Amino acid sequence: MPEIRINGQPIEARKDETVLEVCRANGIDVPCFCWHPELSIAGNCRMCLVEVEGRGLDIACNMPVSAGMEVYTESEAVRDHRRAILQFITLNHPVDCGICDKAGECLLQDHHYAHNAKASISHEPKVRAPKHVDLSDRIVLDNERCILCLRCTRFTAEISKSHALGVIERGDHASIRPVEGHPLADDPYSDNIIDLCPVGALLSKDFLHRARVWYLQATPSVCPGCSRGCTVDVWHRKKEWFLKSVGVEENLKIARVTPRENPAVNGPWICNKGRDLAKILERPRATQALIAGQPVTTAQAIEHARRLIAGAKSPRALVSNWGSNEELEALQRHLGTRMRCVVKADRKAEPGERIEDDLLIRADKNPNTRRALELFGEPAADAAQGADLVLLWGELADPALLPAGVPRIVLGSWIDPVNDSAQVFLPVSVQTERSGHYTNFDGVVSAFAPCFDKPAGVSDAAVLFAQLALAPGARP
Amino acid sequence: MTTPYRRKRYWNEPRMGWYERAYIFEVLRGLMITGRVFLKNLGTFMLGRRGALTTYYPEEQRPDYARHNRGRHVLVQRADGKPQCVACNLCATVCPAKVIEIESACDLSDAAHPKYPARFAIDYSRCIFCGLCVEACPEDAIRMQPETPHFPGPDRTTMWSHREDLLSWQPARDAAKPYPPAGEEEAR
Repeated sequence: MPEIRINGQPIEARKDETVLEVCRANGIDVPCFCWHPELSIAGNCRMCLVEVEGRGLDIACNMPVSAGMEVYTESEAVRDHRRAILQFITLNHPVDCGICDKAGECLLQDHHYAHNAKASISHEPKVRAPKHVDLSDRIVLDNERCILCLRCTRFTAEISKSHALGVIERGDHASIRPVEGHPLADDPYSDNIIDLCPVGALLSKDFLHRARVWYLQATPSVCPGCSRGCTVDVWHRKKEWFLKSVGVEENLKIARVTPRENPAVNGPWICNKGRDLAKILERPRATQALIAGQPVTTAQAIEHARRLIAGAKSPRALVSNWGSNEELEALQRHLGTRMRCVVKADRKAEPGERIEDDLLIRADKNPNTRRALELFGEPAADAAQGADLVLLWGELADPALLPAGVPRIVLGSWIDPVNDSAQVFLPVSVQTERSGHYTNFDGVVSAFAPCFDKPAGVSDAAVLFAQLALAPGARP
Repeated sequence: MTTPYRRKRYWNEPRMGWYERAYIFEVLRGLMITGRVFLKNLGTFMLGRRGALTTYYPEEQRPDYARHNRGRHVLVQRADGKPQCVACNLCATVCPAKVIEIESACDLSDAAHPKYPARFAIDYSRCIFCGLCVEACPEDAIRMQPETPHFPGPDRTTMWSHREDLLSWQPARDAAKPYPPAGEEEAR
């Protein structure tokens, strides 16, 4: 354990650590652009310069600790060099923060203000470059803003291993370009480079100019796209910035999804499917209770369903593995003795979707299969046959599971033909409208919080189970 | 133990004799002033002449705004008629009443100005005419004119001014703001 001194303060460091890692672990701020804890060391931005007694200035990210070294992170020479580096980095940067989607969460902005750097002192005209280079159908590159930290190329080479990005040309003409024969569109983790980019060079086409980031708030959530259960941040408009006239539908939409760092599950990454949660959750919603396809009040539908349950001899419940731990437990508590509960898959892989890999993506495309199976056991192949009433909760990946000609009670969130053909249909909330927990395939439990209010007429499934368990005519 | 309230004595406390303390004479004097002005205005009104300073809004509007009065907003246009605005949302962010709403859009064919406001709306039922939007704008895209906006109506939800109304003014030859900016062309 070599002991080093940083700004005169003695600190114990491990032998295999770099000075930058020691500084970050001890709360000493050393600015950097190209260094990232999960990527290899490139050392090309020169922003993390520190002064070492007797050795002068050098970059902290690539400096192994040695016993007795004296490091200064805030000396006058270091500060001068940081300001000079910022001058150099902004030499050809267009500083078009006004129209840049990264503004507000941009490392270059943050460092520029934190280190009190001046506006560009260069008299030379800035080198112009293409503002919109399509890297894939999801990502667009603004060449002028790129500071060539190479985080994106290192990510595709080391983490996603698609080798989809490289650098062409030299000097101030150097630019990131897709590699021939390795399309970025085939990389299911490609959108992580948008978060990795320290400036606004790599932008999501889906999020392009949709909102300034300070209008948004991040709600912790869990990706339901597969049984990995990556923790994510769901970004949606802050209440105080709700629109009143222009584009009011944006108020209740998911603006974007970013990974929420979690070493136990997903590290700092998520896959592209997790970023497209809106495509799953924002399908046209069913908000009206139905009896045999005719609109009724929720109370009437519940009463009709109770009578059906009371009159059935062998009712079955097809259990959603998109239900949270709390909802699954509510089902078992209220209806578990009355009905035989059979766990079914809500969704399966879409055509063209990556089934499984060794980074994050799992073959089971449902978030809570593990907890559902713990509570209700492995289903038999013909578990739903022989029933005289079926309670279908959630979607159905395999329509053959549903026995034909049997009366059905359906609890669903989205518009589906199966809702109209059911005896009773009750609308239930989606994940972004309630709180709960998912248990991933590994047994790690992660929580999600509500982002939006439920639409009128929609209830939580856990509340409905308690009401369905009462005898017909009972008042809740 | 709290100290009892004591009324503050002012340097110009009125000195009242028995006449003022009797109250009724002073009240009658005040009513006489009010009544005299009322009858005078009534008389001039009946004779068809202007009496009081009332402006009969909205049929009648006053033209005598100060030159630097902060009135209705205008969006500045480029030479080709497109809005100068780049939809950076700084005006909407700085607005203390949160009345500006912008929907931005992307036009890749305009390389110099890819981001533009597809919709732009100001709610004049809540605008406080502070002028911070004009100060915050990095592009000189929003300005204020002396005359006030006119939204007479019974419903405050209809007082939104939209992009088409705001773009109604174009500085034909604005020496202070030539477009494209000088030196931009040779730099390219």
